[in-house]
Amino acid sequence: MANLKELKNKINSVKGTQKTTKAMKLVSTAKLRRAEVALKNSREYAKKIDELVCSIACKISSIKDLEHRAFLTEAPKKVDIIFITADKGLCGGFNHQTIKAVSNLLKEYKEKNIKARLKGIGRKGIEYFKFNEYELADERIGLSATPNYEEAAKFIQSSYEDFMNGEIDAIVLVHNGYVNKIVQEIKINQLLPLEFKEKKNTDHILDIEPKHDEEKVLEELVQKYVEFSQFFALLDSLAAEHSARMQAMDAATNNASEKVKELTLQYNKARQEAVTTELIEIISGMEALK
Amino acid sequence: MKLEVVAPLGKIYEGEVQEVTLPGEDGEFGVLEGHAPLVSTLKAGVVDIKKDGGEELIAINWGYVEVSPEKITMIVDEAVPLSNSQGHDIADAIQKAKKLMADFAESSQALAYTEGKIESAARNII
Repeated sequence: MANLKELKNKINSVKGTQKTTKAMKLVSTAKLRRAEVALKNSREYAKKIDELVCSIACKISSIKDLEHRAFLTEAPKKVDIIFITADKGLCGGFNHQTIKAVSNLLKEYKEKNIKARLKGIGRKGIEYFKFNEYELADERIGLSATPNYEEAAKFIQSSYEDFMNGEIDAIVLVHNGYVNKIVQEIKINQLLPLEFKEKKNTDHILDIEPKHDEEKVLEELVQKYVEFSQFFALLDSLAAEHSARMQAMDAATNNASEKVKELTLQYNKARQEAVTTELIEIISGMEALK
Repeated sequence: MKLEVVAPLGKIYEGEVQEVTLPGEDGEFGVLEGHAPLVSTLKAGVVDIKKDGGEELIAINWGYVEVSPEKITMIVDEAVPLSNSQGHDIADAIQKAKKLMADFAESSQALAYTEGKIESAARNII
């Protein structure tokens, strides 16, 4: 009856896996809830800083031409690509989508003859690009699992400085963002130069203090904006990661249930067969004795 | 008028206020309802909020403020709110506020000034 025992073992092992995936799903659900709250809280700031950058830029541009580097409109020659992935796997296509988007972007830049420099946050993405022999200018592991404003600011600092020095002409941020509990979306954000969405009519008089140094006010704000965008992307990515993992683990749990059902059916069939064979043996033994 | 204070980690304050005193880059200034539109950078210091039924403080390390006639929006980096609703935690909050100032104040004079302000206002609040 080796077959029966084998099946039994298989069923038990699938059940064990199911327990693990179920636990992982629960953990992700709890973490997702926390990440969602953090994201929601920060969304307010994101909105406000966007508005503020826009209104100051509009105000300054209404007085004079904006010559600030942050509003560069020329085509870039050298670009920093910063990607964010998770440190861990088991979250479906979450990491892979980001990696694919980055690869596509790299290809696109190559065709346009734009030099790209790659910087990464998150073990999975870093491992992938290292394995494929891309050069990473900067990498950070551990930050995507626990977003922290200061660390995020530190990470983006060098890119920001290089941009202001004219060493690079654009900073692009790629991450897999959170839409809702079941949908994640790849977001490719150009942090710098800032893209003017609309030229707001600034008829209302807006004073900028300190008065003599409007450009400086803007510059400081732009830096803050870049830092915060990096932080916000980390939060967004974390929430998306947990939602992706939750989904993946849910699917795995369901698949395991199905597998258990299938295996149990097989097991029962095999058992019945065994019983029937035994009965036949007994009966034919008895018949022979008559 | 309405006041809104947001930090990267979330909203710190939202509500109706009568008067707000802000630590501007070029010096302290107060805002009443109907103020001309203004954008200013803020340095480390104390935001003094006067509203119906009392006073509240928020210690900030850096910030921006956008003032429009009926609304004030502040974005800050780090902030410690001090209000009488905190009850027993107020001592903790005062300590935190002082520490924030100590980390970010430009000079010892500025530090002494803001610390003094925190303490005297804290007394008012309690």
